[in-house]
Amino acid sequence: MQSMEFRAMSTSVLLAAEGHDWAIAGLNAARRFIEDCEQRFSRFLPESELSQLNRFSGTWVTVSDDLMDLLNQSLDFYEETGGLFDPSILTDLKRAGYDKSMDEIRAHGVSSLSASKRTSRPAFNEIGLDPVGQRVRLPHGMEIDLGGIAKGWIVEKAAALLNTYSAICAVSAGGDIFFVGDPSDGSRWRVEVEDPRRPDETVAVLHVGQGAVVTSSITKRVWNQNGQPRHHLIDPRIGEPAESNWLSVTVIAPQMTLAEVYAKVLLIGGAGEAERLCSQRPEIAFVAVNANGEMFCSQNSKEYFDALDYIRF
Amino acid sequence: MKLLKFGLRFWIALTSVFSFMVGWAMIAHSPKPVQPISASSSVLALPTLTPLQPLDFNSNTNGSQSSPLVVQSPSRFAQAPIFKTGGS
Repeated sequence: MQSMEFRAMSTSVLLAAEGHDWAIAGLNAARRFIEDCEQRFSRFLPESELSQLNRFSGTWVTVSDDLMDLLNQSLDFYEETGGLFDPSILTDLKRAGYDKSMDEIRAHGVSSLSASKRTSRPAFNEIGLDPVGQRVRLPHGMEIDLGGIAKGWIVEKAAALLNTYSAICAVSAGGDIFFVGDPSDGSRWRVEVEDPRRPDETVAVLHVGQGAVVTSSITKRVWNQNGQPRHHLIDPRIGEPAESNWLSVTVIAPQMTLAEVYAKVLLIGGAGEAERLCSQRPEIAFVAVNANGEMFCSQNSKEYFDALDYIRF
Repeated sequence: MKLLKFGLRFWIALTSVFSFMVGWAMIAHSPKPVQPISASSSVLALPTLTPLQPLDFNSNTNGSQSSPLVVQSPSRFAQAPIFKTGGS
């Protein structure tokens, strides 16, 4: 199996594909696709398509098919999760200090203008989508951050591209992974779930087939703001970093965007919302870890553990 | 013999002219090719697709700020690499 690692979307990307020359060509093509997509959907690049959309709130803006697809999916997930998934929290995210890329925050800290008072903002479902005219209008005062859902979308599309070169392949962006096919040795893909308290250690090993594995964590993208620890997962109900009883949630799902959204909303909603959220999506399985290192798993997650691994619960 | 030669030449010339005329008539009376539908305001313009990537992945024809291709040689594993998930 061929593999390639590089850095994109402020995280480490790993591509893997079975085969020889064609697989290598596929790795290069997938890498170029990911780098191109980052240029379009990053909120940190002023010329990206997303930044331009945010700049022209209040007016109709013509967008690409891809951005329209992402916004349509986002709106559907917003309604489905009762607003727990909300891409329009960008002003709250900036207020919490996440107003530049995580690489810059790690190097230079947060900006001094952060921590202002929360102001009211329009609800995400007030966004105007015109699929026929391929146009979008953000209400005045709305800024959106596609963050995780865009990353998931890019990973799955890159995997589909890689799949045209190799029947068995995988794409991982910072541990958000999409697998195509099963490894040719007859096994399933092995995925180690990190301990959110100690990333060098593993709390579980999953054995999965084709599909997505995504983890949301509140221990990775963290910083200090006026001496207070902050993280990047905003609870839209309060406009502040979520105070969850879980540290990380790993979701196994057939599609990347579905896995991205549910990993995020399960982490924000915590144990109190898990049953309601999972009842509407029986196709997803999840593994959550709390501050004591205890694991909470959905019933259907058992099939992803080997018997030996499962004994540890 | 001369008469036979003359007759043969006459026959060849006649059939050639006749075949040519028949072919002309057939082409002249064949149905016209379908005209393309003219663009109108009620027809949506198809989106412009981005150019396909060239198959030569060893040369960077992109011209963007992305780093040169194959900056890193792919690694080979006998088995699938171990994937880790933990958020980013």
